[in-house]
Amino acid sequence: MSYSLAQILLFIIVYLTGLFTVAYLADRGIIPERVTRHPATYVLSLGVFAGAMASNGVIELAHRYGYNFLLYYLGVVFMFVMATLLLLPLLRLCRVYQLASLADVLTFRFRSPRVGSVITIAMCITLLPLLALQIQAVADSIHILAGETSEKHRHDGLALLFCIIITVFSILFGTRHVSSRYRNTGLVTAMAFESLLKLAALMVVLLAAAYQVFGSFGELEQWLLQNPGVSQVLQQPVRGDTARALLLVFFAGAVCMPHIFHMTFAENTDSQSLRSATWGLPLYLLLLSLPVLPVTWAGLKLGHDLPMEYSGLAIGLALNSTTVSVAAFVAGLSAASATIIVTTLALSNMCLNHLVLPSKLLQIDRGKRIYNQLKWSRRSLIGILIMAGYIFFVILADKQSLTQLALVAFAGTAQFLPGLIATPYWPGANRRGLLAGLTGGLAIWFFSMLLPLTIDYHPRLLSALYDTLFGTGDNMWAAATMVSLTLNTGLFMVVSVLTRAGEDEKVAAEICSMDDLAHPTRQTLSLHSADEFSQYLGPALGVKTAQSEVQRALGELQFAADESRPYALRRLRARIEANLSGLLGPAVAHSIIERCIPFQPGTHGDIDDIHLIERNLDRARFQFTGLAADLDNLRRHHRETLDNLPIGVCSISADGELLMWNRSMAQITGIEPRDVLGALLDSMPQPWRQIIDKFQQGDTNTILKTEVITEPGASRWISLHKASTDESTTSSSDNTVILVEDITDFELLEEELLHNERLASIGRLAAGVAHEIGNPVTGIACLAQNLEYETEPDEVRYMAQDILKQTERVTRIVESLVNFSHAGSTSGAIRLTPCNLADCVDEAIHLLTLDREARPVQFSNHCDRELLVLADNQRLLQVFVNLLGNARDACDDYGQVHIMATTNGKQVTIEVEDNGCGIAPELQSRVFEPFYTTKDPGEGTGLGLALVFSIMSDMDGSVHFISPIAEGAHPGTRATLQLPHTSYGPEFEV
Amino acid sequence: MYINRALLLVIGIVIIFFPAIESWMLGSQAAWYRPYLPWLLIIVAAYWNQRTRRPDEL
Repeated sequence: MSYSLAQILLFIIVYLTGLFTVAYLADRGIIPERVTRHPATYVLSLGVFAGAMASNGVIELAHRYGYNFLLYYLGVVFMFVMATLLLLPLLRLCRVYQLASLADVLTFRFRSPRVGSVITIAMCITLLPLLALQIQAVADSIHILAGETSEKHRHDGLALLFCIIITVFSILFGTRHVSSRYRNTGLVTAMAFESLLKLAALMVVLLAAAYQVFGSFGELEQWLLQNPGVSQVLQQPVRGDTARALLLVFFAGAVCMPHIFHMTFAENTDSQSLRSATWGLPLYLLLLSLPVLPVTWAGLKLGHDLPMEYSGLAIGLALNSTTVSVAAFVAGLSAASATIIVTTLALSNMCLNHLVLPSKLLQIDRGKRIYNQLKWSRRSLIGILIMAGYIFFVILADKQSLTQLALVAFAGTAQFLPGLIATPYWPGANRRGLLAGLTGGLAIWFFSMLLPLTIDYHPRLLSALYDTLFGTGDNMWAAATMVSLTLNTGLFMVVSVLTRAGEDEKVAAEICSMDDLAHPTRQTLSLHSADEFSQYLGPALGVKTAQSEVQRALGELQFAADESRPYALRRLRARIEANLSGLLGPAVAHSIIERCIPFQPGTHGDIDDIHLIERNLDRARFQFTGLAADLDNLRRHHRETLDNLPIGVCSISADGELLMWNRSMAQITGIEPRDVLGALLDSMPQPWRQIIDKFQQGDTNTILKTEVITEPGASRWISLHKASTDESTTSSSDNTVILVEDITDFELLEEELLHNERLASIGRLAAGVAHEIGNPVTGIACLAQNLEYETEPDEVRYMAQDILKQTERVTRIVESLVNFSHAGSTSGAIRLTPCNLADCVDEAIHLLTLDREARPVQFSNHCDRELLVLADNQRLLQVFVNLLGNARDACDDYGQVHIMATTNGKQVTIEVEDNGCGIAPELQSRVFEPFYTTKDPGEGTGLGLALVFSIMSDMDGSVHFISPIAEGAHPGTRATLQLPHTSYGPEFEV
Repeated sequence: MYINRALLLVIGIVIIFFPAIESWMLGSQAAWYRPYLPWLLIIVAAYWNQRTRRPDEL
């Protein structure tokens, strides 16, 4: 039974169209997201690993080496089961920095465009055998199905036709999104579909082998018992070094092969999906490997004359079964097409980012968006790569088996493993070491494997070396693999140790490192707003692209368009670089960012970026175990404590960046932490900017009370304290911690108490006032009575004058009382003006003498009549009323109170001395406490001296007591007040 | 370091017991699918390991 070429080619086109339809439906959302985004879809898409080697090559491997064919699968299984070792760290890097290929990762890690170029070229060369393998598998299958056996030229033509068809579909599949930051849902779904189809097709072949060739699985077992030679081959031990080399290259292939790397990292950003793959992919590969042995044995039983790799097709043809033949062909076709599509897509990305763009082969039109240019470049590269694979296939001239091609390709890509392992685990590695290692390893690979594969060349010298080292005989592959990898690793380590890494390489090494000690540092940007980013990126990317990239990065970071905080701008810069890395590759992206948005010179990472450290720790919190988890919990506890403190806390770095702003600070200032954290103090809204800046710059570490007018008519009172963190005990630079306490309520309460105390004083004075007013009123009444009968004009005039004098006296008494009662009303702020001290003391004495019930002590005002102090007149009056009132209460009926004042030119010292009972030493420390009094209940509120202290503090003055000041029964007390001396200057209008 | 300690333990055990496992797998009277059983066990262990992990942000 055979099929015509037209039928087969039509079938291939129908199959690939079906595949493309699946991708199209997934992209359009017709296939629901719960399917396309399901971890199972991702796991199945990783089945792209199983190319034509899995559908055909392993059959030959099983035939020759028995169970050792399992090593092909087990290498990948171990890599995914141990995903935490390498895959998860790489996924983190690829996701954060938008790295889509192995060349991207190594270029990012070693900060060298040259590394990217070398790896891309090397990768293209090492993958030629793999591409040729896929082409050969499909071409041979077509050839077998078509029943052709001899026409070699026609065979190559079939392969060319297949290559053209697959090129069209690869372009259609792979270049929908220009940047690696978008998940290519259609591609992932199509690859998952192919994997399912591949598995189903192989299962059909398995069932055909077991039930149609052998009759049943039991009869298969019987056949095995009857053919001990087969069992012997099955259980033959492979040389240890060969087995190790096989396991090693397939282990490395699981991460170094570009198509697997692409599906694992570029098309997936979810760690949960990767975790599902840690068991899902091994399970899939187990199922995929189940048919291998029965199909091999079925091929042996049938004794067909086709190469062993095509036993599936041979079974179909022998059984004359279209279903089995088509299933075997579909298995090979789906495996090969998936590998070619994804491999060329990944390689085209690498070529574009690491060869075309850095070498400026592609002239970007900066006036337009660059996305279309990139897309068309990638399409061309896909075509070129598939054609290169085809040419290699033609050069091979069908001389090599599929297994040989696969082993050479896998051994070549394994050379990138040391660099990949060093990325998260060896910060000391450098680009010179990497390039030296790769050169050594790839040279061995080239001369020992690739050249002998293509031309009639036998490396005698190397062969003799391998024989000496391993005694390899004919099996040179394993020895060459081990020697190349050993030389690669050795050179990598030795050169890295002997040479120095660049500064940027060290920074990248820290970023990539799994070491917990890695810490982000803070550098200062030359730009000050997001707008400037677009402006400065314009010349490199084109104005429209620059604006769209900046807007995209702002949106992703959820920053406002007018963002200007230095911390936010640093993150914006990093995000734009990551996004450009997905678009243009890390080398070009890094070069553009370094050129357009540079850091200020001389700020190379000597200060920790506290915000970034905290953010990283918050994101990584679930990874911490043991001591690290305890430390993180402790950090969070302290952070919570600081955030919930009822006192405002802010921390400012030496360069003015706000590092901390707790909730109380937000309540006091009305400024949310997200608006100021990471911002410069200069960008903070007024009046807080001025207050905090002035306090930070000032010499004093404490301001007990200052008024903040946040808006007209609304003011708050705050107290400020500051401290500097000791540079020697922290890794950060000299930071200032400022505590802000809102004392508005306390201040309002104090005002209220002051008013109450005044009302109490007025109450006490009321009786005296009534009496004092009563006397002139009586006098006026008498004069008015006499006036009724007086006829002499002169007498009338005298009487009227007397009446006026009496009314003036009443007016003065009332004025004094009104004046006192208005003093320091709650709404009034302190107004410091020059006050005549003697007049103020007189007024206080006058007010006190109104109280007739009080003791008749003698007040003597000795103050200089010209002496002026800087004070609030009404509050100063309250001070003297309280002090003199206390002095009077401390004296007996013959007490004397003297008020004296002296000045040194700057300060005026006022002394109020009495000869009263004095203050007991144990009480002296409590005299200023509110509500503390030694008077009988109802006679004193205990607020008098507390208010004196408060008012004197408000007026930048001080007060203290000395007692006793004399010996004997009347020890007396001296109250000493200090106030600033002043004079009537031009600034005061009198 | 974020390396799973349980995983390191399992790798150590597998290395120690590999000769015994190998001879069991390749016994002369063994069923042809016997090597798949340890493989299945690895899958179950991997499933169990990822199931007990908390979701994270890498």
